[in-house]
Amino acid sequence: MAQRNTFREDEELEESINLHDIARVGVYLKPYLPAVARILAVVVSMSCITVSVPYLTKIMIDDAIPNKDLGRLGLLAGVLACLIVVYELALRYRTVAITRVGQLMLKDMRRDLFTHIQTLPFSYFDSRPHGKILIRVVNYVNTLSDTLSSGLISVFADVFTFLVTLVVMFAIDWRLALWSLVLFPALIAWVRVLQYFQRRAYQKLSNKQSNLNAFIHESIAGVKTTQTFAREKAQFMTFQQQQDDVRTAWMAAKHIEFLMWPGVQTISVMTIAFIYFVGITGFGGVDVTTGMLIAFVGYANNFWNPVINIGNFYNQLVTCSAYLERIFETLDVRPEIEDRPGARDLPEIRGRVDFNDVVFRYEDGGRNILNLVDFHVEPGRTIALVGPTGAGKTTIVSLLSRFYDVTEGSVEIDGHDVRDVTLASLRRQMGVMLQDTFIFSGNVRENIRYGRLDATDEEIEAAARAVHAHEFIMELPDGYDTVVEERGSTLSAGQRQLIAFARVLLADPRILILDEATSNIDTRTEEALQAGLAHLLKGRTSFVIAHRLSTIENADEILYIDHGRIVEHGSHAELLRAKGSYWRLYESQYAAIRA
Amino acid sequence: MYVDPGINQNKGNVRWILPYCTPDLPRVVGALVLFIANNAMALSIPIISGLIVDRVIVGGRTGELPGFCALMIAMTIIRVGARYGYQMWMERFGQNSVYRLVSDEYEKLHELDFTYFNHTRTGDIMSRMTSDTDAIRHFLSWVDYQIADCVVMFVGALTVMFAIDWRLALALACVTPFIFILTRGLSSHAHPLFFAIRNSLAELNSMVEENIEGNRVVKAFAREPYETRKFDERNDDYMERNMALAYNSRRYMPWLDGLGFCLQLITLGFGGYLVIAGDMTLGNLVSFNSFLWMIDGPVRMCGWLINDWQRFNASCIKIRRLLTETPRIVERPDAARSVVEQSGGSAVARTAAEGRTTSTPAAPDLRIRGDVRFDHVSFAFPDDPDTPILDDIDFHVPAGSKLGILGETGAGKSTLVSLISRFYDPTAGRVLIDGVDARDWPLATLRSQVCIVAQDTFLFSDTIEGNISFGAGGAPGDETGGRTGSGDGVDDEFIRRMARIAGADGFIRALPDGYGTIVGERGVGLSGGQKQRLSLARALADDPSILIMDDTTSAVDMETEAEIQRHLREMDGDKTIVTIAHRISSVKDSDLILVLERGRIVERGTHAELVAAHGRYWSIYSKQLGAQSGAAQGF
Repeated sequence: MAQRNTFREDEELEESINLHDIARVGVYLKPYLPAVARILAVVVSMSCITVSVPYLTKIMIDDAIPNKDLGRLGLLAGVLACLIVVYELALRYRTVAITRVGQLMLKDMRRDLFTHIQTLPFSYFDSRPHGKILIRVVNYVNTLSDTLSSGLISVFADVFTFLVTLVVMFAIDWRLALWSLVLFPALIAWVRVLQYFQRRAYQKLSNKQSNLNAFIHESIAGVKTTQTFAREKAQFMTFQQQQDDVRTAWMAAKHIEFLMWPGVQTISVMTIAFIYFVGITGFGGVDVTTGMLIAFVGYANNFWNPVINIGNFYNQLVTCSAYLERIFETLDVRPEIEDRPGARDLPEIRGRVDFNDVVFRYEDGGRNILNLVDFHVEPGRTIALVGPTGAGKTTIVSLLSRFYDVTEGSVEIDGHDVRDVTLASLRRQMGVMLQDTFIFSGNVRENIRYGRLDATDEEIEAAARAVHAHEFIMELPDGYDTVVEERGSTLSAGQRQLIAFARVLLADPRILILDEATSNIDTRTEEALQAGLAHLLKGRTSFVIAHRLSTIENADEILYIDHGRIVEHGSHAELLRAKGSYWRLYESQYAAIRA
Repeated sequence: MYVDPGINQNKGNVRWILPYCTPDLPRVVGALVLFIANNAMALSIPIISGLIVDRVIVGGRTGELPGFCALMIAMTIIRVGARYGYQMWMERFGQNSVYRLVSDEYEKLHELDFTYFNHTRTGDIMSRMTSDTDAIRHFLSWVDYQIADCVVMFVGALTVMFAIDWRLALALACVTPFIFILTRGLSSHAHPLFFAIRNSLAELNSMVEENIEGNRVVKAFAREPYETRKFDERNDDYMERNMALAYNSRRYMPWLDGLGFCLQLITLGFGGYLVIAGDMTLGNLVSFNSFLWMIDGPVRMCGWLINDWQRFNASCIKIRRLLTETPRIVERPDAARSVVEQSGGSAVARTAAEGRTTSTPAAPDLRIRGDVRFDHVSFAFPDDPDTPILDDIDFHVPAGSKLGILGETGAGKSTLVSLISRFYDPTAGRVLIDGVDARDWPLATLRSQVCIVAQDTFLFSDTIEGNISFGAGGAPGDETGGRTGSGDGVDDEFIRRMARIAGADGFIRALPDGYGTIVGERGVGLSGGQKQRLSLARALADDPSILIMDDTTSAVDMETEAEIQRHLREMDGDKTIVTIAHRISSVKDSDLILVLERGRIVERGTHAELVAAHGRYWSIYSKQLGAQSGAAQGF
């Protein structure tokens, strides 16, 4: 049943990095390791070039200028020019290479998520807003893009730059290098404290945004309902509240983010001032040339950037960790219904169906939805299920196509337990026509073809004719090529049912299940439809659930279901003679029309 | 609406966004002051570096050093404080402006009519309200001052550099024309690429969304591999689009970046030469060096900023399209007054304040009695004007009576009732509610009192209680109601009573959490019949004057249906009830029954009259009856 997962509730988020999740990302990175190695090599050489520029300046100030050596100056300029060319070539390579690796990883991840979601049971889709599922497949993955590709690589470059800079500084003058690190602990403390708060703030923001998105999504999907009830104002108020929450969380997060730079910059300038002071006064035994001093200041200017970037990356990683956790959580949802190891393909169905003392409940300890349902159907027979709403009729047919597994007992088709055969081979041979008909965007022809992808146009038309959909389709502006919008909103409910009907017929199933399939179809069409169906049903075992008795009285056997049990069974005539529940139902309908 | 979408329609995107920003412009002015302080400081600090070199190192005046250092630190503190201040203000400015923009989008969305939603994908609207607005927010609260920063720093730094040494500065300035050329090239090429990425993402989103919504069908046909193939196409396309953008960057970015590097080259080579030649002091060269990042930064930055600018423009265009979409159904500006005038006061039988002036919108006080008249109404969808859906429909239902509509699939039944609550306007003829043209009624009044229980039931992700009380916002003693508090202020007993009438109380109480059970989006967790009964209860809780049931009980078993009808009969005295059904039993008690065929009324009358007439109604009747009585003869 539905869990508490509405747009108003926040999802739980991780507090710290989950190393396990990060490691799992490695799986996606693995195929591209050679490319990553190449990129890293390029990035490292780019860092080296960046670090060497202040050193060239030092040589100029200490060497070329005092000696008034124009040749040396020209040489320095020439070296720098060469370095620039190499650097820009490297940049050219890096721009595309990083994007490619990142995009390929994301593509793989999206694909895995999508294919996985295909295997999840209805209950997964039923228990959470669809907007939230959508966000996991597309948006969260996109959020990872920067962190995983450019972020990872530039942080590597930053660490490298940082180390090289340190080495160069110590090489120039180890005392001055030590002095310039005096404020380093303060910097680390500042960065760490702020980033702790920043992380929390961003997690809160992400929750609020997720809620807002889910709400917007639902608002769009439910806009017709809102308009019907003229509840636009109330919806708008809720929307504003949600927007307010997001804005507050946003400003809190930005506040901390913007505090970062001032602290770092102040420490950086203090360090520069300190370097001047120490270098010039010779404090603590430091003795450096002007060129060295200038070079040091040059390094000190850029020294902190890697530290901030590494900190930022850590934060991104935590945020990503939260997203990764949701992504992997989705990937880890075990489909309740899976092929057993060693499951075989179900051979072509002849049509015998056995329900052997089937008990079913949704969760352990829950109420029994079906209680010892036991019946046996010979191939080619038509079985009708009747009974009050919620009696368990839909559940019975769902067990047959194995949308759920029985709790006790077994369901067998031609003597094969449905749990022992592959899902694909089972469902391919079953035609299920549900209460909710879903029309895909595309044209009418494609929608029917969904039943059998290799069907020819003639076969599609034949199927449409058989269910009497051909007439109305031909009246549509472009006939079979008429484009139906999302969810078929331009068609009436009855028209959608007819298209879905044609779709099922085209699939040529061995077992046909009609679950309230004709409830929105008018009597005349239904009558014609049944005439057409009569010979199509021949040779197929079929199950019909309907409230209209006219639809079911021709069935070979009627099962009257109530409270998850078969209360009565037999043919129409037999059941009427028995004067039980079915007879009462029949009488009330008859009376309703007649009176 | 915060801003009338009609204004600045033909202006550029910046002019267009301005009205949304206006209330927060004082913040921008404040931010500007801080911005200037920040940049003045930023431009002065390197001068101190130069002074240290020239006066302290070269000049040997060591005593001045602590003063310079202190000044440098003090200026930095002022600078970072100012920067923090203007960043926060600009962020708040961006948030508030976008808040207004998104709110307007949301309101606009609810003004649009069915025609729009029939032709627009949810995913597209979703992007309009999330990623597109985010691009605008990013522009308002970051990109704009970054651009200003780049320009000011570049021009400022160059000016100071000219003051220090015009020759070296001139050499650096030579680089600028190239920057503009490259920037323009990058900009014009990136523009279509961003559009393509956005479209591709929308495609991907829509495809996944449809797959999630239609998961039952996908599974029923075991079409997972087919769906995956479809997904792969979109997924690949999305990646290709992103790569195209990367390739465009590759064409321009290295050149732009290289220009930045050239500045260092010029300083080193030419500056070094000038110092050696004795035309410049070493201190000045050091200052120059400190200024370099101020012109180098903007040059490297501008490529990215151009991308952001293009993203902003692309998003603006899409949002503007949404906001200027004209709904076909528009309320008359003087709707409330016109109703009062036309009906001579009779339509406002329950108006609370008799003497209320027409200047105040008196809409909520108007009460519809429930008299419906179709005056030779014809209708065709605007996108297909040649196919008449309704043709010369003419009938009258007095207040408090019952109308039944019978007809084949696609005969126009649902369209007919949509005209009553004015989801569409007739192409010809008039729909009169209480004698007043539907087009003259205030929309809110009309729709809150005409309630359609549609074929497609949509339930919100909320508790059952919250869903039922969704419509009860107008119930007595509850102004805010609705869904905000899962039915706070709406009497629990009232909700239960409505559920009982709709025949839903039984199954609701059998659910694990009863009325507190949350039903998922689109209420998939419930069976079709259960959803239908919930949406009926929701409509009843709204206490409409005209209740329209569009095949509402099709998935409900006949016993329950009979029970619901009995409840309905007992409940209302004054409601006009319109019932669309396929079952004779649902409509036969109506005061008037219409039989629709291809948009025309082919038969009309009461059950007895129609049966006696031996026409279409009779044949449906005898089929539904005959099916049973025929078999009944078997025993």
